[in-house]
Amino acid sequence: MTDATHGSPASGGSGRQSFAAYRIAGAVAAVILLALLAIQVFEIFDGDNHTVPEVRWGVPPVSGEQTGDSSLVASSILRERATLQGPRAEFGPSPNAQRTFQVGSETQLVEEPIADPDPFLTQEWSNPSDEELAMIRGTDRVEGVSSLPYTGAEVFERPFARDWRLGLADFATHLGALAILGFAFLLALMLALRGRMPIVRGKSERKVQRFGLIERTTHWMTSVSFLMLALTGIVIAYGDTLILPFGDGVLGQTGWLATWGHMMFFPPFAIGILAMFVLWVRHNLPSKLDLNWLAKGGGIFSDDVHPSARKFNAGQKLIFWSVILGGGLLVLTGMLLMFPFWILSINAMGWVMLAHAVVAVLMIAVILGHIYIGSVGMQGAFWAMWTGKVDRNWAAEHHDLWLEEIDGKKGAAR
Amino acid sequence: MARVKFLCDTDRCIECNACSTSCKNEHEVPWGMVRRRVVTINDGHPGEKSIAISCMHCTDAPCVAVCPVSTLYQTDIGVVLHDKDTCIGCGYCFYACPFGAPQFPRATLFGSRGVMDKCTYCAGGPEENGSQAEFEKYGRNRIAEGKLPICAEVCSTRALLAGDGEVIGEIYRERVLARGFGSGAWGWKTAYYPEEA
Repeated sequence: MTDATHGSPASGGSGRQSFAAYRIAGAVAAVILLALLAIQVFEIFDGDNHTVPEVRWGVPPVSGEQTGDSSLVASSILRERATLQGPRAEFGPSPNAQRTFQVGSETQLVEEPIADPDPFLTQEWSNPSDEELAMIRGTDRVEGVSSLPYTGAEVFERPFARDWRLGLADFATHLGALAILGFAFLLALMLALRGRMPIVRGKSERKVQRFGLIERTTHWMTSVSFLMLALTGIVIAYGDTLILPFGDGVLGQTGWLATWGHMMFFPPFAIGILAMFVLWVRHNLPSKLDLNWLAKGGGIFSDDVHPSARKFNAGQKLIFWSVILGGGLLVLTGMLLMFPFWILSINAMGWVMLAHAVVAVLMIAVILGHIYIGSVGMQGAFWAMWTGKVDRNWAAEHHDLWLEEIDGKKGAAR
Repeated sequence: MARVKFLCDTDRCIECNACSTSCKNEHEVPWGMVRRRVVTINDGHPGEKSIAISCMHCTDAPCVAVCPVSTLYQTDIGVVLHDKDTCIGCGYCFYACPFGAPQFPRATLFGSRGVMDKCTYCAGGPEENGSQAEFEKYGRNRIAEGKLPICAEVCSTRALLAGDGEVIGEIYRERVLARGFGSGAWGWKTAYYPEEA
């Protein structure tokens, strides 16, 4: 395959192309993503982030007939039983006891799912009566000693844990959905409005080697493992929204696979990050050219602006450093979490887990941009990493100094 | 409607650990895991108090909120239950629990942590009530028999109370009035009234 747009309907031979089909696809994707973003924003403000009971207790119908409110009957059975813990003068073994324990009665309570869970119950529970308010004490005692030989047996309370829940269920989850959907929306919008960036002078049909086998192998090993880590991570983070509609069991199975997969794709990712650092760090050191490149927006706003760049332009350098730093942070936090209690305490692990989640969702958003510009966003870019060879005109437009550099080397060799 | 709670009268708890022991026995909880434990605060100093602590079956339960699969769920009497068939052992409930209640078989790697186990308020799990499968996964289902958790019913000093919050609250208040002092309901703020200052 020599043509970057081979088989695409927009491929109209060599020369400058309009790529109309790409614009239409971008517009459709932008509309869908905008709708998803709207749903996500609504989710933040719809106030349903309280835990709501999903199952209710009742009594089985007597001889097939339901008598009265089954939940109320179940409640009164449990209330009655609780009164037996009162003073022994009234109940229990006292000779003057007015009541005796009823053990082994016929009573059987049953559970059934609540069809339409009502958040009202949770709100009612959170409001103490005046008597209860007087009984509540502060949370100043959190740890003591225990004679039981278990990890963490000495812990009485960890009020911090309630904040952790806010950090994960409200902050990290919503931030991630906003970042991923929002960035995908911007990219789709760019494809629709700006269009696919063409090779202005058309294809020259002359190729130049850009990435060697080792560079490409490293890239694809890292990217495939990142994709798998991202997908398994998304199952764990958003399975409740994305997979639960297919059933509890499906979510449980997918979740289990994702948990294992997340661990198994970590070694190639970690090795890939390290290898990429070694291979490319010397090409990614910041230089004055980068300021010029960034000032011109990388030439993204016009087909005819092409700021100079060596092997990697400032945009690619930013991707490189976010992968090295972000990916490195993910590997580090992930490894800490894989060995619970080896190094960190439970509170520290909570913070590390939150950092892992936030960095991960931001990395997914950043990599979306990288995938975009390396595939649909720019004609000819994909082949650099796939076959390793790029069109000379593409190289001259986007990496002029690098092309001169390697031409010079070839000349010197001759 | 009943809203069941746990209340430990720290002025009565003598750290006999009968609640932990009877719980382990009643539910045949595996080695290395414990559903109820007794913690002594200020051990050996004036003001020493012991408290029996387990899952408190919180209002607006944080574990249910963070569970990435649908393992944890709450019932209309407040009991928080878990489904071992869907649990992936991620440990989020453990990070989110204000009482350190979720237990995992011998902690090793993410992915091989095994499925979570915690106090069920003696209410079993999603399996059929009273079935062998339910017993093996979650222990005995006393609620279905109209009884309350074994830890409270076995408590020799009646320090640990279980049942409807209003009923046990009343028992506790009468007790405090009769003896003239009381340390209050420990853990209730965190568990049941997180919004209250």
